Amino acid sequence: MISMPPSDNDLHAYVDHQLSEADRQQVEIYLANHPAAAKRVRAWQQDAQHLRTTLSAALHQSANPNLDPATIRQRLKHRTHRQLANAAVLMVAIGVGGFGGWHARQMTLLSAAAPMADALQAYRLIAQQGILPADYQSGDKQGMQGWLDRYFAQADRLPDLTGAGFKPVSGRLLSTDQGAAAMVVYQDAGGQKISFYIRPPGPRNFLLPRGSRRDGELQAEYWSGPGYNYAMVIPSDTSAAQTLKQTLDF
Amino acid sequence: MNEIDDQLRLLIPRLRRFAVSLTRNPSNADDLVQACLERALSKWNDKRADGDLRAWLFSILYRQFLDAHRRSRRYARMLEFFTGRDDAHPSAERSVIAQSSLQAFDQLPAEQRALLLWVSVEGLSYQQVADILDVPTGTVMSRLSRARQALRQLSDGEIARPALRILK
Repeated sequence: MISMPPSDNDLHAYVDHQLSEADRQQVEIYLANHPAAAKRVRAWQQDAQHLRTTLSAALHQSANPNLDPATIRQRLKHRTHRQLANAAVLMVAIGVGGFGGWHARQMTLLSAAAPMADALQAYRLIAQQGILPADYQSGDKQGMQGWLDRYFAQADRLPDLTGAGFKPVSGRLLSTDQGAAAMVVYQDAGGQKISFYIRPPGPRNFLLPRGSRRDGELQAEYWSGPGYNYAMVIPSDTSAAQTLKQTLDF
Repeated sequence: MNEIDDQLRLLIPRLRRFAVSLTRNPSNADDLVQACLERALSKWNDKRADGDLRAWLFSILYRQFLDAHRRSRRYARMLEFFTGRDDAHPSAERSVIAQSSLQAFDQLPAEQRALLLWVSVEGLSYQQVADILDVPTGTVMSRLSRARQALRQLSDGEIARPALRILK
Protein backbone atom coordinates (compact mmCIF):
# COMPACT_ATOMS: atom_id res chain seq x y z
CA MET A 1 0.00 0.00 0.00
CA ILE A 2 1.47 3.37 -0.92
CA SER A 3 1.16 6.46 1.28
CA MET A 4 -0.32 9.77 0.21
CA PRO A 5 0.82 12.03 -1.32
CA PRO A 6 2.32 9.56 -3.81
CA SER A 7 6.08 9.76 -4.32
CA ASP A 8 7.63 10.25 -7.75
CA ASN A 9 8.31 6.52 -7.86
CA ASP A 10 4.64 5.82 -7.16
CA LEU A 11 3.66 8.10 -10.04
CA HIS A 12 6.06 6.31 -12.39
CA ALA A 13 4.70 2.96 -11.24
CA TYR A 14 1.22 4.31 -11.96
CA VAL A 15 2.23 5.26 -15.51
CA ASP A 16 3.76 1.80 -15.98
CA HIS A 17 0.71 -0.08 -14.67
CA GLN A 18 2.78 -1.57 -11.88
CA LEU A 19 0.53 -0.57 -8.95
CA SER A 20 -2.03 -2.76 -7.27
CA GLU A 21 -5.64 -1.98 -8.10
CA ALA A 22 -6.21 -0.28 -4.71
CA ASP A 23 -3.08 1.89 -5.10
CA ARG A 24 -4.01 2.77 -8.63
CA GLN A 25 -7.39 4.12 -7.48
CA GLN A 26 -5.71 6.13 -4.69
CA VAL A 27 -3.38 7.74 -7.20
CA GLU A 28 -6.23 8.54 -9.56
CA ILE A 29 -8.15 10.30 -6.79
CA TYR A 30 -5.00 12.23 -5.89
CA LEU A 31 -4.35 13.23 -9.51
CA ALA A 32 -7.93 14.42 -9.94
CA ASN A 33 -7.29 16.96 -7.18
CA HIS A 34 -3.74 17.93 -8.08
CA PRO A 35 -3.60 19.33 -11.62
CA ALA A 36 0.17 19.99 -11.57
CA ALA A 37 0.99 16.38 -10.76
CA ALA A 38 -1.66 15.23 -13.21
CA LYS A 39 0.00 17.27 -15.94
CA ARG A 40 3.40 15.70 -15.31
CA VAL A 41 1.91 12.24 -15.30
CA ARG A 42 0.06 12.96 -18.54
CA ALA A 43 3.28 14.12 -20.20
CA TRP A 44 5.01 10.86 -19.21
CA GLN A 45 2.05 8.86 -20.48
CA GLN A 46 2.14 10.73 -23.77
CA ASP A 47 5.88 10.17 -24.15
CA ALA A 48 5.38 6.46 -23.52
CA GLN A 49 2.53 6.35 -26.03
CA HIS A 50 4.69 8.19 -28.62
CA LEU A 51 7.47 5.71 -28.09
CA ARG A 52 5.13 2.75 -28.51
CA THR A 53 3.71 4.21 -31.72
CA THR A 54 7.07 5.22 -33.19
CA LEU A 55 8.82 2.00 -32.30
CA SER A 56 6.00 -0.24 -33.47
CA ALA A 57 7.21 0.37 -37.03
CA ALA A 58 10.45 -1.45 -36.17
CA LEU A 59 8.49 -4.64 -35.52
CA HIS A 60 7.62 -4.94 -39.18
CA GLN A 61 11.02 -5.32 -40.82
CA SER A 62 11.25 -7.91 -43.53
CA ALA A 63 12.47 -11.22 -42.19
CA ASN A 64 16.19 -11.94 -42.19
CA PRO A 65 16.74 -15.65 -42.98
CA ASN A 66 20.11 -15.55 -41.17
CA LEU A 67 18.25 -15.04 -37.92
CA ASP A 68 16.04 -18.09 -38.18
CA PRO A 69 16.66 -20.41 -35.21
CA ALA A 70 16.96 -23.45 -37.49
CA THR A 71 19.72 -21.72 -39.52
CA ILE A 72 21.49 -20.68 -36.35
CA ARG A 73 21.33 -24.21 -34.94
CA GLN A 74 22.87 -25.45 -38.18
CA ARG A 75 25.67 -22.92 -37.94
CA LEU A 76 26.37 -23.79 -34.31
CA LYS A 77 26.58 -27.45 -35.24
CA HIS A 78 29.10 -26.71 -38.02
CA ARG A 79 31.18 -24.69 -35.63
CA THR A 80 31.20 -27.52 -33.08
CA HIS A 81 32.24 -29.93 -35.82
CA ARG A 82 35.11 -27.67 -36.81
CA GLN A 83 36.22 -27.36 -33.19
CA LEU A 84 36.04 -31.15 -32.82
CA ALA A 85 38.08 -31.55 -35.99
CA ASN A 86 40.70 -29.15 -34.64
CA ALA A 87 40.69 -31.02 -31.36
CA ALA A 88 41.20 -34.27 -33.26
CA VAL A 89 44.24 -32.83 -35.03
CA LEU A 90 45.58 -31.80 -31.64
CA MET A 91 45.04 -35.26 -30.20
CA VAL A 92 46.89 -36.83 -33.11
CA ALA A 93 49.62 -34.24 -32.70
CA ILE A 94 50.00 -34.96 -29.00
CA GLY A 95 50.20 -38.66 -29.90
CA VAL A 96 53.01 -37.97 -32.37
CA GLY A 97 54.50 -35.68 -29.77
CA GLY A 98 57.41 -33.29 -29.66
CA PHE A 99 58.05 -30.71 -32.31
CA GLY A 100 55.56 -32.31 -34.65
CA GLY A 101 52.81 -31.70 -32.15
CA TRP A 102 53.70 -28.08 -31.69
CA HIS A 103 53.87 -27.56 -35.42
CA ALA A 104 50.46 -29.16 -35.93
CA ARG A 105 49.06 -26.93 -33.22
CA GLN A 106 50.31 -23.85 -35.05
CA MET A 107 48.70 -25.08 -38.23
CA THR A 108 45.43 -25.71 -36.43
CA LEU A 109 45.45 -22.26 -34.89
CA LEU A 110 46.29 -20.57 -38.15
CA SER A 111 43.69 -22.40 -40.16
CA ALA A 112 41.03 -21.90 -37.50
CA ALA A 113 41.14 -18.13 -38.07
CA ALA A 114 39.59 -17.27 -41.42
CA PRO A 115 42.17 -15.65 -43.70
CA MET A 116 42.21 -11.86 -43.70
CA ALA A 117 39.24 -11.65 -41.32
CA ASP A 118 40.68 -8.31 -40.22
CA ALA A 119 40.20 -6.91 -43.73
CA LEU A 120 36.49 -7.72 -43.56
CA GLN A 121 36.26 -6.29 -40.09
CA ALA A 122 37.93 -3.09 -41.22
CA TYR A 123 35.56 -2.84 -44.18
CA ARG A 124 32.57 -3.16 -41.87
CA LEU A 125 33.93 -0.57 -39.42
CA ILE A 126 35.02 1.99 -41.94
CA ALA A 127 33.22 1.60 -45.25
CA GLN A 128 29.87 0.34 -44.00
CA GLN A 129 29.36 1.83 -40.58
CA GLY A 130 31.54 4.92 -40.97
CA ILE A 131 32.69 4.51 -37.36
CA LEU A 132 36.21 5.65 -38.12
CA PRO A 133 37.04 8.74 -40.16
CA ALA A 134 39.63 8.70 -42.92
CA ASP A 135 43.27 9.59 -42.30
CA TYR A 136 43.71 10.63 -45.87
CA GLN A 137 41.24 11.66 -48.54
CA SER A 138 41.96 12.07 -52.19
CA GLY A 139 40.21 11.79 -55.49
CA ASP A 140 43.25 10.63 -57.41
CA LYS A 141 45.26 7.46 -57.43
CA GLN A 142 48.66 9.19 -57.39
CA GLY A 143 47.98 10.98 -54.13
CA MET A 144 46.63 7.86 -52.50
CA GLN A 145 49.59 5.80 -53.67
CA GLY A 146 51.94 8.40 -52.21
CA TRP A 147 50.15 8.27 -48.89
CA LEU A 148 50.30 4.47 -48.83
CA ASP A 149 54.00 4.41 -49.79
CA ARG A 150 54.81 6.52 -46.73
CA TYR A 151 53.86 3.53 -44.57
CA PHE A 152 54.37 0.45 -46.74
CA ALA A 153 57.62 0.24 -48.68
CA GLN A 154 57.66 -1.58 -52.00
CA ALA A 155 54.12 -2.84 -51.69
CA ASP A 156 51.91 -3.85 -54.60
CA ARG A 157 50.55 -0.86 -56.49
CA LEU A 158 46.94 0.11 -55.81
CA PRO A 159 44.82 -1.61 -58.42
CA ASP A 160 43.40 0.66 -61.12
CA LEU A 161 39.65 0.17 -61.02
CA THR A 162 38.60 3.14 -63.12
CA GLY A 163 37.46 0.70 -65.78
CA ALA A 164 34.76 -0.47 -63.39
CA GLY A 165 34.01 3.11 -62.34
CA PHE A 166 35.78 2.98 -58.96
CA LYS A 167 38.18 5.62 -57.64
CA PRO A 168 40.17 5.61 -54.41
CA VAL A 169 38.56 8.14 -52.07
CA SER A 170 39.91 7.60 -48.57
CA GLY A 171 42.60 5.80 -46.63
CA ARG A 172 42.86 4.74 -43.02
CA LEU A 173 45.68 3.30 -40.96
CA LEU A 174 44.82 0.45 -38.63
CA SER A 175 46.61 -1.49 -35.99
CA THR A 176 46.45 -5.29 -35.99
CA ASP A 177 48.27 -7.91 -33.99
CA GLN A 178 50.35 -8.61 -37.11
CA GLY A 179 51.47 -4.99 -37.33
CA ALA A 180 50.25 -1.74 -38.90
CA ALA A 181 47.72 -2.18 -41.69
CA ALA A 182 45.98 0.20 -44.05
CA MET A 183 42.73 0.21 -45.91
CA VAL A 184 41.94 2.24 -49.00
CA VAL A 185 38.27 2.68 -49.83
CA TYR A 186 37.25 2.93 -53.47
CA GLN A 187 33.88 4.34 -54.40
CA ASP A 188 31.89 4.51 -57.63
CA ALA A 189 29.35 7.07 -58.76
CA GLY A 190 26.56 5.02 -57.21
CA GLY A 191 28.20 5.13 -53.76
CA GLN A 192 29.19 1.46 -53.81
CA LYS A 193 32.34 0.86 -51.82
CA ILE A 194 35.09 -1.69 -52.12
CA SER A 195 38.33 -1.78 -50.22
CA PHE A 196 41.99 -2.56 -50.72
CA TYR A 197 43.62 -3.84 -47.54
CA ILE A 198 47.30 -4.33 -46.85
CA ARG A 199 49.14 -5.59 -43.80
CA PRO A 200 52.44 -7.33 -42.96
CA PRO A 201 52.35 -11.11 -42.73
CA GLY A 202 53.22 -11.08 -39.02
CA PRO A 203 56.19 -12.42 -37.09
CA ARG A 204 55.64 -15.96 -38.41
CA ASN A 205 55.69 -14.62 -41.97
CA PHE A 206 52.40 -16.32 -42.69
CA LEU A 207 51.79 -15.91 -46.41
CA LEU A 208 48.52 -16.76 -48.05
CA PRO A 209 47.74 -18.81 -51.09
CA ARG A 210 45.59 -16.79 -53.49
CA GLY A 211 42.00 -17.33 -52.49
CA SER A 212 38.56 -15.97 -52.08
CA ARG A 213 36.04 -16.26 -49.33
CA ARG A 214 32.52 -15.16 -48.70
CA ASP A 215 31.50 -13.82 -45.34
CA GLY A 216 27.88 -12.72 -44.99
CA GLU A 217 27.20 -10.03 -47.55
CA LEU A 218 30.87 -9.50 -48.32
CA GLN A 219 33.35 -11.20 -50.58
CA ALA A 220 37.06 -11.14 -49.79
CA GLU A 221 39.74 -11.84 -52.41
CA TYR A 222 43.13 -12.27 -50.81
CA TRP A 223 46.71 -12.97 -51.82
CA SER A 224 50.28 -12.38 -50.74
CA GLY A 225 52.70 -10.17 -52.58
CA PRO A 226 56.12 -8.68 -51.92
CA GLY A 227 56.36 -8.49 -48.14
CA TYR A 228 52.68 -8.10 -47.38
CA ASN A 229 49.32 -9.82 -47.36
CA TYR A 230 46.57 -8.19 -49.35
CA ALA A 231 42.81 -8.37 -49.59
CA MET A 232 40.10 -6.72 -51.62
CA VAL A 233 36.68 -6.63 -49.99
CA ILE A 234 33.63 -6.28 -52.19
CA PRO A 235 29.96 -6.38 -51.32
CA SER A 236 28.85 -9.55 -53.09
CA ASP A 237 25.69 -9.83 -55.17
CA THR A 238 25.89 -6.24 -56.36
CA SER A 239 26.19 -5.10 -59.94
CA ALA A 240 29.51 -3.52 -58.94
CA ALA A 241 30.83 -6.90 -57.89
CA GLN A 242 29.84 -8.39 -61.24
CA THR A 243 31.52 -5.60 -63.21
CA LEU A 244 34.64 -5.94 -61.13
CA LYS A 245 34.84 -9.66 -61.58
CA GLN A 246 34.75 -9.12 -65.33
CA THR A 247 37.20 -6.24 -65.24
CA LEU A 248 39.76 -7.66 -62.89
CA ASP A 249 41.80 -10.71 -62.60
CA PHE A 250 42.52 -10.85 -58.90
CA MET B 1 13.36 -28.38 -30.37
CA ASN B 2 10.80 -27.21 -32.89
CA GLU B 3 8.73 -25.81 -30.08
CA ILE B 4 11.71 -23.78 -28.85
CA ASP B 5 12.37 -22.50 -32.36
CA ASP B 6 8.75 -21.43 -32.70
CA GLN B 7 8.89 -19.54 -29.42
CA LEU B 8 12.10 -17.82 -30.56
CA ARG B 9 10.71 -16.97 -33.98
CA LEU B 10 7.82 -15.10 -32.38
CA LEU B 11 10.25 -12.96 -30.41
CA ILE B 12 12.72 -12.17 -33.21
CA PRO B 13 10.94 -8.97 -34.32
CA ARG B 14 11.07 -7.69 -30.73
CA LEU B 15 14.75 -8.57 -30.42
CA ARG B 16 15.51 -6.82 -33.69
CA ARG B 17 13.64 -3.74 -32.56
CA PHE B 18 15.53 -3.69 -29.26
CA ALA B 19 18.83 -4.18 -31.08
CA VAL B 20 18.08 -1.32 -33.50
CA SER B 21 17.25 0.96 -30.60
CA LEU B 22 20.63 0.12 -29.05
CA THR B 23 22.85 0.19 -32.14
CA ARG B 24 20.80 2.67 -34.24
CA ASN B 25 21.89 0.67 -37.27
CA PRO B 26 19.84 -2.18 -38.80
CA SER B 27 22.74 -4.31 -40.03
CA ASN B 28 24.65 -4.07 -36.73
CA ALA B 29 21.38 -4.79 -35.01
CA ASP B 30 20.90 -8.04 -36.91
CA ASP B 31 24.47 -9.10 -36.10
CA LEU B 32 23.66 -8.50 -32.47
CA VAL B 33 20.41 -10.49 -32.68
CA GLN B 34 22.26 -13.33 -34.38
CA ALA B 35 24.91 -13.40 -31.66
CA CYS B 36 22.18 -13.28 -29.03
CA LEU B 37 20.28 -16.21 -30.55
CA GLU B 38 23.47 -18.25 -30.90
CA ARG B 39 24.19 -17.70 -27.25
CA ALA B 40 20.61 -18.41 -26.22
CA LEU B 41 20.56 -21.70 -28.13
CA SER B 42 23.89 -22.87 -26.77
CA LYS B 43 23.02 -21.79 -23.20
CA TRP B 44 19.41 -22.95 -23.32
CA ASN B 45 19.87 -25.14 -20.25
CA ASP B 46 20.86 -22.11 -18.16
CA LYS B 47 17.45 -20.54 -18.66
CA ARG B 48 15.25 -20.66 -15.58
CA ALA B 49 12.29 -22.86 -16.47
CA ASP B 50 9.81 -20.44 -14.90
CA GLY B 51 11.55 -17.32 -16.24
CA ASP B 52 10.15 -15.10 -18.97
CA LEU B 53 11.84 -16.01 -22.27
CA ARG B 54 11.60 -12.48 -23.63
CA ALA B 55 13.27 -10.95 -20.55
CA TRP B 56 16.00 -13.60 -20.68
CA LEU B 57 16.74 -12.87 -24.35
CA PHE B 58 16.73 -9.12 -23.75
CA SER B 59 19.25 -9.64 -21.01
CA ILE B 60 21.57 -11.71 -23.24
CA LEU B 61 21.31 -9.21 -26.07
CA TYR B 62 21.92 -6.23 -23.79
CA ARG B 63 24.99 -7.81 -22.25
CA GLN B 64 26.41 -8.60 -25.67
CA PHE B 65 25.77 -5.06 -26.79
CA LEU B 66 27.66 -3.72 -23.77
CA ASP B 67 30.57 -6.09 -24.42
CA ALA B 68 30.78 -5.14 -28.09
CA HIS B 69 30.51 -1.47 -27.20
CA ARG B 70 33.34 -1.76 -24.71
CA ARG B 71 35.47 -3.57 -27.28
CA SER B 72 34.91 -0.94 -29.95
CA ARG B 73 35.65 1.85 -27.47
CA ARG B 74 38.91 0.16 -26.63
CA TYR B 75 39.68 -0.22 -30.32
CA ALA B 76 38.90 3.46 -30.93
CA ARG B 77 41.18 4.51 -28.07
CA MET B 78 43.95 2.36 -29.44
CA LEU B 79 43.59 3.98 -32.85
CA GLU B 80 43.54 7.38 -31.27
CA PHE B 81 46.82 6.58 -29.63
CA PHE B 82 48.19 5.22 -32.86
CA THR B 83 47.09 8.09 -35.08
CA GLY B 84 47.12 10.82 -32.43
CA ARG B 85 43.57 11.84 -33.07
CA ASP B 86 40.40 12.01 -31.08
CA ASP B 87 37.56 10.25 -32.88
CA ALA B 88 35.34 10.16 -29.86
CA HIS B 89 34.14 13.76 -29.72
CA PRO B 90 30.36 14.11 -29.95
CA SER B 91 28.98 14.70 -33.41
CA ALA B 92 27.38 17.96 -34.37
CA GLU B 93 24.08 16.15 -34.84
CA ARG B 94 23.80 15.86 -31.08
CA SER B 95 23.15 19.54 -30.61
CA VAL B 96 20.36 19.69 -33.18
CA ILE B 97 16.92 20.18 -31.70
CA ALA B 98 15.07 16.91 -31.37
CA GLN B 99 12.04 17.22 -33.57
CA SER B 100 10.36 13.91 -32.99
CA SER B 101 10.19 11.59 -30.06
CA LEU B 102 12.30 9.07 -31.94
CA GLN B 103 15.07 11.61 -32.41
CA ALA B 104 14.85 12.52 -28.75
CA PHE B 105 14.90 8.85 -27.83
CA ASP B 106 17.94 8.22 -30.00
CA GLN B 107 19.86 10.91 -28.17
CA LEU B 108 19.51 9.20 -24.81
CA PRO B 109 22.32 7.03 -23.44
CA ALA B 110 22.01 3.33 -24.28
CA GLU B 111 20.89 2.28 -20.82
CA GLN B 112 18.10 4.85 -20.76
CA ARG B 113 16.93 3.70 -24.20
CA ALA B 114 16.91 0.12 -22.99
CA LEU B 115 15.01 1.02 -19.81
CA LEU B 116 12.32 2.96 -21.63
CA LEU B 117 11.90 0.27 -24.24
CA TRP B 118 11.65 -2.50 -21.66
CA VAL B 119 9.20 -0.68 -19.40
CA SER B 120 7.18 1.66 -21.61
CA VAL B 121 7.15 -0.32 -24.85
CA GLU B 122 7.56 -3.97 -23.90
CA GLY B 123 5.82 -3.64 -20.54
CA LEU B 124 8.36 -5.61 -18.52
CA SER B 125 7.91 -5.40 -14.74
CA TYR B 126 10.37 -3.46 -12.59
CA GLN B 127 11.44 -6.78 -11.09
CA GLN B 128 12.27 -8.25 -14.53
CA VAL B 129 14.30 -5.17 -15.43
CA ALA B 130 16.06 -5.34 -12.05
CA ASP B 131 16.99 -8.95 -12.83
CA ILE B 132 18.35 -8.02 -16.26
CA LEU B 133 20.48 -5.17 -14.94
CA ASP B 134 21.30 -7.02 -11.72
CA VAL B 135 20.36 -4.05 -9.50
CA PRO B 136 17.61 -3.57 -6.87
CA THR B 137 14.13 -2.47 -8.08
CA GLY B 138 14.59 0.84 -6.28
CA THR B 139 17.56 1.56 -8.54
CA VAL B 140 15.53 0.64 -11.60
CA MET B 141 12.87 3.13 -10.53
CA SER B 142 15.27 5.99 -9.97
CA ARG B 143 17.08 5.33 -13.27
CA LEU B 144 13.74 5.12 -15.06
CA SER B 145 12.70 8.39 -13.51
CA ARG B 146 15.88 10.03 -14.82
CA ALA B 147 15.38 8.50 -18.24
CA ARG B 148 11.82 9.85 -18.45
CA GLN B 149 12.95 13.26 -17.34
CA ALA B 150 15.70 13.27 -19.96
CA LEU B 151 13.31 12.19 -22.71
CA ARG B 152 10.82 14.87 -21.64
CA GLN B 153 13.45 17.58 -21.78
CA LEU B 154 14.78 16.44 -25.14
CA SER B 155 11.27 16.21 -26.61
CA ASP B 156 10.58 19.75 -25.38
CA GLY B 157 13.88 20.91 -26.78
CA GLU B 158 14.67 22.37 -23.35
CA ILE B 159 18.28 21.36 -23.66
CA ALA B 160 18.90 22.38 -27.23
CA ARG B 161 17.01 25.65 -27.52
CA PRO B 162 18.96 27.92 -25.17
CA ALA B 163 22.15 27.03 -27.02
CA LEU B 164 20.56 28.26 -30.26
CA ARG B 165 19.19 31.46 -28.74
CA ILE B 166 22.69 32.69 -28.03
CA LEU B 167 23.23 32.98 -31.78
CA LYS B 168 20.64 35.78 -32.20
